This record gives sequence, C-alpha cells and structure tokens, in this order.
Amino acid sequence: MKLKAGMLQRLLPFLSLIILFVALSIASPYFLTANNLTSVARQTAVFNTMALGMTIVIISGGIDLSVGSILGLSGLVGTMALEAGYPIVVGVLAGIVIGMLCGFLNGLLVTRLRIPPFVVTLGTLGIYRGLALIFSNGLPVHKIPAAFSFLGEGNLLGIPFVAWMLVICAVLVHVVLEHTRLGRYAFAIGSNKIASIYAGIPVDFHITAVYAIGGALTGLAGMIEASRLMTGQPTAGQGYELQAIAAVVIGGGSLNGGEGSVVGTLIGAFIMGLLSNGADLLNISNYWQQVIIGSVIILAVTLDEVRKRRAV
Amino acid sequence: MVLLELRNIEKHFGGVTALRSGNLAVAAGEVHLLLGENGAGKSTLMKIVAGIVQRDGGQMLWNGQEVFLRTPAEAAAIGIAMVNQESLLAPHMTVAENIFLGREERSPLGWVNRRAITEKARRLIEQYQFPLDAEWRVDKLSPAGRQMVEICRAIQHGSSLLIFDEPTSSLSDTETQQVFRIVRDLKARQMGIIYITHRMDELRAIGDRVTVLRDGGTVHTGNLADIPTDQLIRHMVGREVAQIYEREHLQPGAAALEVRGVSVVKSKLKDISLTLRKGEITGMAGLIGAGRTELCRAIFGIDRIDAGEVLVHGEAMKIRTPRDAVKAGIALVTEDRQISGLALRLPIGANVTMANTERISRFGFLDLAAQNRLSAELGQKMRLKAASPAQLAGTLSGGNQQKVVIAKWLFREAGIFLFDEPTRGIDIGAKAEVFELMSELARAGAAILMVSSELPELMHVADRILVMRQGRISGELARGCTQEQIMKLAVMEAAA
Repeated sequence: MKLKAGMLQRLLPFLSLIILFVALSIASPYFLTANNLTSVARQTAVFNTMALGMTIVIISGGIDLSVGSILGLSGLVGTMALEAGYPIVVGVLAGIVIGMLCGFLNGLLVTRLRIPPFVVTLGTLGIYRGLALIFSNGLPVHKIPAAFSFLGEGNLLGIPFVAWMLVICAVLVHVVLEHTRLGRYAFAIGSNKIASIYAGIPVDFHITAVYAIGGALTGLAGMIEASRLMTGQPTAGQGYELQAIAAVVIGGGSLNGGEGSVVGTLIGAFIMGLLSNGADLLNISNYWQQVIIGSVIILAVTLDEVRKRRAV
Repeated sequence: MVLLELRNIEKHFGGVTALRSGNLAVAAGEVHLLLGENGAGKSTLMKIVAGIVQRDGGQMLWNGQEVFLRTPAEAAAIGIAMVNQESLLAPHMTVAENIFLGREERSPLGWVNRRAITEKARRLIEQYQFPLDAEWRVDKLSPAGRQMVEICRAIQHGSSLLIFDEPTSSLSDTETQQVFRIVRDLKARQMGIIYITHRMDELRAIGDRVTVLRDGGTVHTGNLADIPTDQLIRHMVGREVAQIYEREHLQPGAAALEVRGVSVVKSKLKDISLTLRKGEITGMAGLIGAGRTELCRAIFGIDRIDAGEVLVHGEAMKIRTPRDAVKAGIALVTEDRQISGLALRLPIGANVTMANTERISRFGFLDLAAQNRLSAELGQKMRLKAASPAQLAGTLSGGNQQKVVIAKWLFREAGIFLFDEPTRGIDIGAKAEVFELMSELARAGAAILMVSSELPELMHVADRILVMRQGRISGELARGCTQEQIMKLAVMEAAA
C-alpha cells in the first residue's frame, strides 16, 4: 500500500501534465488544434532547451542564474555572425560556442574561487548582459538571412524543426546523465561532494564541464529565440533563468543536488508551457498567469518533499 | 548541600541504549569530574541535566525537588548552564551583546540599551578578572575566549550549576590555566561544577570528587584524593570483550606505506613516522584531538604535508590530493560516512563503483548491467543486507552503510587501507563483520591502519598499537599490551 502511494506521488508531475492537457482540451475547443499544439511546441522550445542544461547543473549541486544573459549574448553574437555574411550553420555554431564559453567561465569561477555558484552566476548574469549591450551598442541585429527562420519556425516532416531538436538534445542529455561517467560524477558530486573528492573523482573538472554543457544548450536556445524573433536582441532572455530552474524543480530536481532527470524536467517545462498557453486561450490575464505558475512551483516542490520525507 | 542528584537515569536512542543507570550527586562549591571513555554516556547525561535531551527513566533532583527539564531554557531558568565544546555564540556581536543575548534590557521605547549592557558586562568581567573586553567582537576571540563569554553568560543569568564539556581539549597550556583559575574562583563562590575531561593529567589540578561512567552506567563515585589514577583508568576501560574479535595474526610482509617525519602545521602534527606492512593491521589509539584523524587526512592528501615524506611500496610519492592517494592505491574509510563516505541519495551500485568507474566503462559508456552484477556479487560476499544494488544508500542501516563504503574500496582494489573509527555507530553484530572483512583484507595482503577509540577492539584486532598524543606518536605497544598501558601513553607526559 505504502509503495503504491509512493509510486503515485512519483508519477504526480506526469499525471498533472495529462490532467492539464485533458482539462485544457475540454475548456478550449482551440487547444487541441494542430495550429495551437505546434505553436506550444515552438514557444516552449527555448525554455525546454535551457532547462535541459540547467538539469545537469542542478544535479551536480550547482545553479546557473546567468542563463538568461547567456541566451541574450549568444543569440546576439550568432546573429552578428550571420549579419557579417557567415553561413547559417556557422552562425548557429557560434551562438552555441559562445554559450559554452560563458558556461565554462562560470564553472571556472565556481571551482577556482570557491565561491557559491549562486553568487558567481549572479555576478556573471550582469557581466554577460553588459557584454551583449556593449557589443551591440544596445541595438538589435536585424539584417539576418530569411532562411535562418527555419530553425525556430520551420517544419520537418510536418513537425516543427525545434521539436526535433529538442528530442535530440533530450536524448543526448539523458544518455550523458545516465550512461556516461560525466553524468555519474554529476550525480555523485551533487549528492556528496566531499565523498566524491575522497573517491578520487576529478571534481573541479567535472563541475566546469557541467556548466559548459549547460551553457552550450543555452547558446542553442539563444539561437532558437533569435530565429523566432528574426532579430538578435541584446536584451533577450531576461528572467528566463527562473523559468528554467522552475522546470527542473517541478520535474523533481533538487536544489540540494544529486536528484533530477531529463524526463522530469521536460514534464516540468511542458506543465509551465501548457499553463501559459491555457491561460492565453482562456483569456486569463498575464498578471494572473504569473500567480498561477508561482503557486504551481511551490505546490510541486512541497509534494515532492513530502514524498522524499516519507521515503527515507 | 547537594545541588543536583541524578538517580538511575536511562536514555535510549532508537534501539541503542546510551544510558542505563546514570548516577551522580553534585554539591555547591565542588568541582565534580565526570570521566569515561568515548561513548560511555557522559555527554548524554549532561545533555539531560541541561535540558537538551529528555530522560526515559530515573530521577533528577534539583535542590531536593524532582524536576523534568524539557528545554535548555527551562534548565537555565532554574540555574543550570552548560559551556559547550562548540561555541553557541553569535559571532558577529560583541562580548557584551552575547552575554545579554535574549535578556537585553530595554528602554521604555523598546530600544536595546547598548551602553547599559556594555557597562554591566564590563563590571562582571572585572569582578571575575576574565581576560576579555566587553566591546570585542566574539568572532575575533580564541576558543578559550569564547568559553569565557559563555561562562560570563552563565554567571549573569544567575546559574548555580555549571557544566564544562571538555573545556580544555582545544586550548593551549596558558589558556587552560586561565580556565582553571576561573573554575576555582566559581567554586569559591559556592557554585557547583561538573567537569568532563579526557585529560588524565589535569584531573588533580582541578577536581574534588569524581564519577566514572562506563557503558551507560555509573561504576565509581567518590573523593578524587582517595583513588589513584591507575585505578580510575581501570574503571573507565574495564569491560569484558567478546571472543568474536579474535583473529589469527600473520607474519607481516613488505612495507606498503612509510610515513617519515611528517608534520602538518595546520593540524598540529609533529614529526610522525610509521610503517604499514602488507598483511598487518596497525592499530592507532589516542584521545579525541590527539591528531589521529588529521594523520589520515595528511596521508590521504586532504591536508598538505609541510615537512617529511610518504613512501608507497618503497617509492616516494607526492600525494597532494585525494585523487593522487586513490591512484596510489590508498583507501580512506572516514569516521563519518554520512558526511564524507557515501552519496546517500544515490543507489548502492553507484556508491560501490564511484572510485573506479573505469572498471564498468565500455567505450566511454557505463555498463550498468556490469555495475549491478559486480556490486551485487560484492554485496553478497560482504553479507550486505540490501534489496538490490538499486536501493538508495541512505536507506541502509549504519553497519550496512559502512559495508558499502568498504565495498567501494574493494571495488577499487586498494592495497593500503586507512580505517578511521570503522565501528562508530554500528551495532555489535556488524562490528564483528567489519573486523572479519579487515582480517580478510590483511590475509589477502592489504596494509591496514585502524584508528579506534575503542580500546578493547584495538587490542583484539590490531597486530600492534601506536598511540598518539597531542600531534605526536607517543609510543608503540606490541600485541597483548594492557589498556592501562595504552591509556598512560595517550594521556600522560612521556616519562623523562
């Protein structure tokens, strides 16, 4: 009986997602249309990609508050490359590499300065945003080849291209987390850093790697965002870090580290995406949406805590 | 006049009995020493007196009236205060503010009158001649200074019984003398004092009466002048040891780990030399704070060695990090497995393979099937009581958690093992199994250092025993030595 209750609670995020889906289908006739669902997929792609990166960082016991700024900076640099005439693939790669470098620097600062990641990334949040504004003089990049919109708006085999991208990224991150030493070490470091050091794990290297991977995924998200807006906005991504963290946490990730999963994060991200889409469809004001999403975060984490307290 | 009387106090934590019959009587104007080995129940008994934990049975009389204290505040209200090993002061506030913390005098408007409390604190400090200033910040004080602030606080709050829990364990000689002077002063003012200590050399400088606890019960109480130190030690350690600890003793092989003249400034280790041989279990005794854990940390690359060298299999090794140590085949089983040994929220399988993921990696990917198969095999061999390798390490009992920690190093195929208090917090059955594992390791050619505060265990398991005292190795004893010999090396100045 006890085990059953535990299972039920473990599945709760997934069940909530399904209930939300069904409820919205009933509440709004427009919800279950192909048009709306593809638009949800597109809207959530940016947050979901970021949240995947945040998942690894949080599992390793870290946090990255600078992802919103990384998103802005990498989207800007990527579109500047396009503006300069480089091929689209090069521009996208540039965005990803910039994101990775930003993450790498975060990791370096966290491991070398021995300052809590919360503080380090609070600082780089400002630095990366400032750099984006300096590089662009505060002006958005507009001269972008039309073909670039394919990344965020195009379809492949009738399904949004970003959905394919998300699936590929999710599978990759899942494999890294569950089937490679890097992922194993992320869990170990997040669960007990001292024990990991004493087991001979190169802890600093792996923490840095984790932030770099998170940064690369954020860089990709930055390019998706730029493609959807068809502009390189130096101010893009403000406040996105909270969305990414919320998705991880709703999906069962623990800010104490050592816990989290790709599936959980995606469920968390989609719950937030559907809430926001549903609120739009049902004409609930943007102001109330924030209240609702905030309440869901607290509710989800409370339920998860209750489950864990019972389990141990 | 008897101030405090404890009669047959009992306390259980889960299934573990911490106290079965704690008896103690303290009069006003006396310094009452409370002695006993680690785990004898001294701290628990004092926590009951101070209202930090509640007794399960027995009586506590305060000035002849039975009392039951639920919180430290209730204890403070009737006049009982405890000076803690770890200071419980607010570090960013001044001495005066700490003395009056929670009892600030307020002006009619509710402001805290800082000048008034500083003045009052100053008068108190003068009266007792504490080496303090009312306006110093507490985080700038030495451990001795902080203790004195706690003492001031107790006096200010009108305490009539003061409990000292190993007050001098982290103090220098001068500071110790200061504490002694203050204790004598308090005694002269008719305060009752309970004084816990491990340092046999300071007993007679301070104590009037003495009570010895062993295995949760009072085994001796009387005037200090009436009993020689040897006999006190016998009371502390005298217990029968079950035969399960017996093991065969092998001829040791080649030297696996040599420590030569190692000093660590930070942890006060001075000129330590020792050799661990293959097939031998070297015991290490000493009081808490003697530097045994610190030595393990230094060998394992956690703390930097300032002088001296470490040789592994005859070769000088630069071990700067735990990673270097692990690569050199050294394993550290720490004294606190929950903090530094296990990833509690991860499965057993992940913990077992943590120090050697190379062994389960195929083409850069983890072979999870191999991980679970190998951990299950190892678990079976070690009689690990777990449902499967997927069970979370945090859900295991203490003994089984310890087995997982040891399994991690077996999986790594380490050859040199540093066991720091390997039986802490595990039950008697699991202890025997841990010793059996250690014996098997020795048979298979491992070199083992076993740090333990449990003398009977050391005496039965170790092939020889090194004793540490205040950062140095104070002596070596062969198998068959007595507990009295060990205690003497652990507590007394070396004979001139």
